Amino acid sequence: MLHVAIKKSFPHFTLDVAFTIEKGIAGILGSSGCGKSLTLQCIAGLQSPDEGLIRLNERVFFDSSQKINMKTRYRKIGYMFQNYALFPHLTVSQNIAFGLKGKPREEVEQKVATMIEKIKLNGYEHHYPAQLSGGQQQRVALARTLVTEPDVLLLDEPFSALDHHTKQLLEKEFLLFIKENFAGVVLLVTHNMEEAYRLCDQLILYDEGKVVQVGDKQQVLNEPSNVKAAKIVGCKNVWPLDSVAIDEEISCYVNGAKIMVPRKKERAHPRFLGIHSHHIRFVEEQSYNTFDYEIVECIPNMHAHDLTVQTKHFTLHVTVPTNELHAVLSHERKLYLPPDRLFLLS
Amino acid sequence: MVENVNLFPLFLSLKVSTIATVLAVIIGLPISYYLSRSNGKIADMVDALITLPVVLPPTVLGYYLLVLFGRQSALGKFLEEKLGLLIVFTPTGAVIAAFVVSIPFFIKSARTAFASIEPNLLNAARVLGRSEWNIFFTVIIPLSWRGIVSGITLVFARSLGDFGATLMVAGSIPNETMTMPIAIYDALLAGNQKLANLLVMIMTIVSVTLLYVIKRLEKRIIRGERSFHASRSD
Repeated sequence: MLHVAIKKSFPHFTLDVAFTIEKGIAGILGSSGCGKSLTLQCIAGLQSPDEGLIRLNERVFFDSSQKINMKTRYRKIGYMFQNYALFPHLTVSQNIAFGLKGKPREEVEQKVATMIEKIKLNGYEHHYPAQLSGGQQQRVALARTLVTEPDVLLLDEPFSALDHHTKQLLEKEFLLFIKENFAGVVLLVTHNMEEAYRLCDQLILYDEGKVVQVGDKQQVLNEPSNVKAAKIVGCKNVWPLDSVAIDEEISCYVNGAKIMVPRKKERAHPRFLGIHSHHIRFVEEQSYNTFDYEIVECIPNMHAHDLTVQTKHFTLHVTVPTNELHAVLSHERKLYLPPDRLFLLS
Repeated sequence: MVENVNLFPLFLSLKVSTIATVLAVIIGLPISYYLSRSNGKIADMVDALITLPVVLPPTVLGYYLLVLFGRQSALGKFLEEKLGLLIVFTPTGAVIAAFVVSIPFFIKSARTAFASIEPNLLNAARVLGRSEWNIFFTVIIPLSWRGIVSGITLVFARSLGDFGATLMVAGSIPNETMTMPIAIYDALLAGNQKLANLLVMIMTIVSVTLLYVIKRLEKRIIRGERSFHASRSD
């Protein structure tokens, strides 16, 4: 269990976050400069918070009330840096052995050999980092960290140094490798929602140094709790509410249009209504939550089209699969907002 | 004819420069490391103080050293009475003069090399359990090796060629404190142009040879690294 509750102030930025991760892979998601990497650095002891508490299981890394600030080298942390930070003057073997100083030579050699076997870099033992591909460098960085058997694993944008194609190939392998070789808490930092969704179990959404939502990834993605969280998870349709009437169902009014939301979605003080662009559907029959529409803009994408659609009351962004595009364009249908997919935001 | 030439100034010059270079490296390394890590007011002051010998005329520098180490000064008295160490008009004085004149070149060079190391490499070493002391020798020094070598070359060259400060502090006592540049000046002053010419020639040949050897050595290190990389890359 990793517990973090810290504050750190800079002239133009304040980090003030608190979260607890019980187990599994948690992702910190947010735009650049929101304090994601800074959080990792504080956990590793590379930066000191102004106040707060950082605790891993029973070990206290930092506690301002007791003036505890454990040195980085005693924290037993696995840290993978954004550009991997492999030592350019050391070979693959020497890089992996770097964290095993003080252990008997045979043990070091055996552990390094096992690791090289695991990351499938046999024959590359005496190569230097500059001679490796991006994916190989990533594996060496991961091996160098995991060979020390850390108590927690921190990953700072593990895929940002790789091109899009390589990244897609390696993601699955990377995840599998971590799951097979590491049992503790993993904290991953990324600005890419899809990457976070594929790799993590839990998400922590950051905005300007604050946590805006923490939870299971499905829940965070499908039901963001506020406008900032909705923006971070990539929700393009957020409308301010005129008024809300709670009956057997919740009737929401947006620019005069009545939209029904199921009762189970109730939230205290709702101020906005949102829906993901890919959850909006087009149906043939008129019912509640259906609207006539006009298409304002159509941008073709690889597997779908991004439409901007205008109804009498509001404008929406809709993602339509290419095979349904024809029916949508010919205006034979009605726009439908599935009640289960709608969410109220505070 | 060469047999008749007194080569003492050459050997003294080489000895003084070597000792001054070793001192500059030992004292310069921690200072350059400190300067590369901090940009506060104190660091700026230290930096200004260290750059001063480059800007000041060597005679002014020599004068300051005389005032500092002279037999009348507190430091000079202390060194003479407690340690039996005489600075002024001794070879030790020549070493100190050469050291002060040349150390800025080492610090500038080493500092730039230290500062260009990716900070996350040091963080990675910390996370992997290494102490700051250990990181200095296993990561920082190997990665800034080239800058340090070129710093050493500069220091040695500057020490070998110093005239003004050495003359002020160590004087020009033949067979005692007379270094090569001073011997050349002395020969010219005495109207012995033949000797001056010869000494100038020797000095030039020795300097060029030394710098060439250092350059080759540096290249060999770099090429060695590269060929090692290349031989393993296929």
